[in-house]
Amino acid sequence: MFKGLFNIIVKEVKELVRDPKILLGMIIVPLIMFPLMGFAIQTSMEIAEESMRSISIAVMDLDKGPVAENLTNFLIALNVIIVEVDYLNFTEAVNYVQQSNVTGLVVIPSGFSNNITEGLKAELDVYTVFRGGGIVESTSSSVISALFETFEEGLVVQKIGEKFPEAPENVLDPVEMSEKSIIKGKPVNVNPGVLFGLMMLQSTGMPVGIMMLLIFAMQLAATSVASEKEEKTLETLLTLPINRFTILAGKLTGSIVVAVIGAVAYIVGFNYYMSSFMGVMPTEIGVDLATIGLAPTPISYLLLGVSLFVSLLSALALAISISIFAEDVRGAQALVGPLSMLLVFPMIIMMFTDVYALPFPLMIVLLAIPFTHPMLASKVAFTGDYLTAVIGIAYVSIFTILVLYIAARLFGTEKILTAKLKLRKLRFRKLKK
Amino acid sequence: MGLAVECNALVKDFGDVRALDGLSFQVKNGEIYGLIGPNGAGKTTALRIVSTLLLPTSGSVEVFGQDVVDDASEIRRVISYLPEEAGAYKNLSGYEYLQFMAKFTTEDKEVIKESVDVAARISGLEERLKDKVKTYSKGMKRRLLVARALMTKPKLAVLDEPTSGLDVLHSVHVRGLVKQYVENQGVTVLLSSHNMLEVEHLCDRVALINKGKIVAEGSPAELKKNVNASNLEEVFAKVVGFV
Repeated sequence: MFKGLFNIIVKEVKELVRDPKILLGMIIVPLIMFPLMGFAIQTSMEIAEESMRSISIAVMDLDKGPVAENLTNFLIALNVIIVEVDYLNFTEAVNYVQQSNVTGLVVIPSGFSNNITEGLKAELDVYTVFRGGGIVESTSSSVISALFETFEEGLVVQKIGEKFPEAPENVLDPVEMSEKSIIKGKPVNVNPGVLFGLMMLQSTGMPVGIMMLLIFAMQLAATSVASEKEEKTLETLLTLPINRFTILAGKLTGSIVVAVIGAVAYIVGFNYYMSSFMGVMPTEIGVDLATIGLAPTPISYLLLGVSLFVSLLSALALAISISIFAEDVRGAQALVGPLSMLLVFPMIIMMFTDVYALPFPLMIVLLAIPFTHPMLASKVAFTGDYLTAVIGIAYVSIFTILVLYIAARLFGTEKILTAKLKLRKLRFRKLKK
Repeated sequence: MGLAVECNALVKDFGDVRALDGLSFQVKNGEIYGLIGPNGAGKTTALRIVSTLLLPTSGSVEVFGQDVVDDASEIRRVISYLPEEAGAYKNLSGYEYLQFMAKFTTEDKEVIKESVDVAARISGLEERLKDKVKTYSKGMKRRLLVARALMTKPKLAVLDEPTSGLDVLHSVHVRGLVKQYVENQGVTVLLSSHNMLEVEHLCDRVALINKGKIVAEGSPAELKKNVNASNLEEVFAKVVGFV
């Protein structure tokens, strides 16, 4: 039955991989564009870090009191370059700061030290020079704010220390809260914030990855059939001594192979991009996932793999069934394009909430979409709910068999040559009514 | 001499349009039989049914005694079909395309190589076979496709407008190839053309089709004699009452 399958798969892969549009869009762009974007962001971040290390502040000390002196010493101790501009008036100081490379200007008014010592509110004017925006300036502004907030906290501790000399920190932070989690019915000594961070990575990363893979595959499968029509090769192919289902299987497999290559390229490029500006990802969270039951088990990997595979097959069969009605590649992509909504919709919802927390009708709609299930299966490691994954696989398998049957039927009849959606004709008829 | 193709009262409807209206003809083993007629006469539809691409609405077609509906798989093993507007996979080289096609008829590597060598000779493309098909001119592509259709020595070659889009020199080359190949290999050819002068030189027998029906059939010489015409174009015009 599958005689000639390998021959078709090899042809499909060659045709798709050698297509400059596919090569550019699926492999070269993710492998070059993402790293380039990452490099640009990394470079900007390094410049920002460098500028933070060499931050300089002009200080106009009109107070000359002990607290003002402490403030200056505090900044110097934190490697801030201090430029004294006491000898200038305010306008001259502003001009100086604008024309030099100084990051900001601090004006310590007369009476500053006295007010703080007396327990009154002291004023401090902190100016950051705006030279056109950008990450570097924004970061510098945040650093200046943080420096003065830290100094202020020190003053608070000092004041409290005068009344509670034993441990002034306890007044500021009187309750020692230990945040822990309950996982799968067991209390675990892990901060839930860390777990949610981990879940966030998983709940955004996996659905996006799955969505990209399925969209790639659908576009490829649609292109594969439509280009046979557009290049007028389909008729010849259909008269060859080869089973029609083998042609369909060859197209499905070829599309899967190229889609996986594309998805891997995308993931590699995207990971590089993410890691280039997110620094060290929270993989080292100090938590042994296996001991708290959150490490993926071989069964969860297996379920995810099977779920992904049947979903991929159903997406491809669906794309092929629909693209049969197109006359060329552009038409096929236009017909298959709306199908991506079936991927984007569950992805967006699952990024923000749990499917089972949705209102019942919406939950049913979401569960009826086959592409929701691989995204659900990706959470099995965290939920341990193998049964849901198995039911999902069974549902998607039935859907896949149904769609494959339809695709095979369409491939086996003359419909593959004669079927076309007469959208223009339909629209015309409607207008006439 | 047995029959390669037997077509009886063939009808094909596309919605409200009747493309074939009771078409009947027979092609003998080893002959070159031509369906000729103007655009829209039903030639391509008839060839597509013979090639198992389309199903008849009614009537029957047998290829070497096998029914095109019930025995389509068996028929595909012995025929080779060249569509009028056929293309080749543009991102494969000419060699890769020929190899891809040859592998469906045999798994024997020697036979595949032999078929590809035959196609290389027929097409005359030589070194250009190493280049991707997308770099070929229309004429080169057509020569590649004709070579593909003949290289596996099918029992029946179904050629829809074999010289479509070719200039005069390439048309003469392809016609020569077909004629020579049939003589040397004993292949039966069923072809279509709207170029009646071309068919006159190539075919043993022809059927003139108009509006899905055969309006005259016989050897080119017989047809010309019957209506006292000097060429097939004149025959056709007289038969359909155009003059």
